[in-house]
Amino acid sequence: MRVSRQYLWLLLLGSFALSARQEFSLKLKDHLFSPARLTVPAGEKIKIRLINQDDTPEEFESFSLNREKVVLGQSQAVIYLGPLQPGEYPFFGDFHPDSAKGVLIALADAQWRAHQQQQTENNETETPHVD
Amino acid sequence: MRSLFWLAGIVLLALSFTALADGRVVDKVYHPYVGALERDVEYRSLYQRQSQHPDNNTLAQKLGYGFAVSERAALAFYLLAERVMPDDYTVASYEVELRYMLTEQGQYNWDWGLLFEYEHQQQTNSNEITTGLLMEKEFTHTSLTINTLLVYEWGGNIKNELETEFRLQYRYRYLPALQPSIEIYSGENYKGAGPGFMGVHKFSPTRQLKWEAAMVFALDNDTIDRTLRFAISYQF
Repeated sequence: MRVSRQYLWLLLLGSFALSARQEFSLKLKDHLFSPARLTVPAGEKIKIRLINQDDTPEEFESFSLNREKVVLGQSQAVIYLGPLQPGEYPFFGDFHPDSAKGVLIALADAQWRAHQQQQTENNETETPHVD
Repeated sequence: MRSLFWLAGIVLLALSFTALADGRVVDKVYHPYVGALERDVEYRSLYQRQSQHPDNNTLAQKLGYGFAVSERAALAFYLLAERVMPDDYTVASYEVELRYMLTEQGQYNWDWGLLFEYEHQQQTNSNEITTGLLMEKEFTHTSLTINTLLVYEWGGNIKNELETEFRLQYRYRYLPALQPSIEIYSGENYKGAGPGFMGVHKFSPTRQLKWEAAMVFALDNDTIDRTLRFAISYQF
């Protein structure tokens, strides 16, 4: 029983481990996600700030990401993800599935660096910041 | 491989508990999440079978209505009907339940929630309070859910006592409509495990049907041989 208790304490302490996450922004306006293709790094924990600029609530849903998150009208919600395997993860707005659709693209390290380089060259503003 | 390590460790931990619980140990394995606008009607059923066992042919059915009261908390009310002998089927108790989501999904290594239940048994005029931790961890395409519960019973003709219960579900998220699982339960006079599944079907953007079922087999001689549990929930 002593071993079991030690294991339980390790489990409890380890379960609250924190790490810095890159944050990405996903906007919802007129029941459309922007960007509809959101590129993120694979293999690390990230968070997505979902900003609902519509007056009605929406539910971010993705079976492949295992997430369902309601964001009320004119408000924000944070979705915590990762580490993701490289690949594409479709998502949609549960209340407006015909229009609110998108895909999250998780890139492996080398591809992510190349993507960031291209973003810098294009002087675009999708570069994330760290908490 | 890492997920197998976690699963093996937690199963050993669960079965090493000197658990005490003589109620209905097999029940829903609760996830630690609350949806801000969730509202549902739920039906649960439990059937136990083993000839010569005192609990043979036991049937318990539960009908409930639940709704979110905030972005993190949900309330549910249940009526419970039970049968041990063919002619004693009746509404046995009522229950109120509060779930509270402590952490956002994916925010920490494990997701955490709390459960509080109060149940009043009409026939025995006894009461039961249940509280405990709801935990879940995601391993790529699988999810491990654990409930560790403390139960206190008092009143009527029963002996006042504190009990513990342990429930575990390891689920493979294969398809929305079919997510096979393994479930493990531990309590007084009960240690069982068996296969299960759950699924969901959407009728429209705001209406969906969720179902889950499991067949739990005894892991020791005290436990009734076979327990079948089933739940269906209409969310709107």
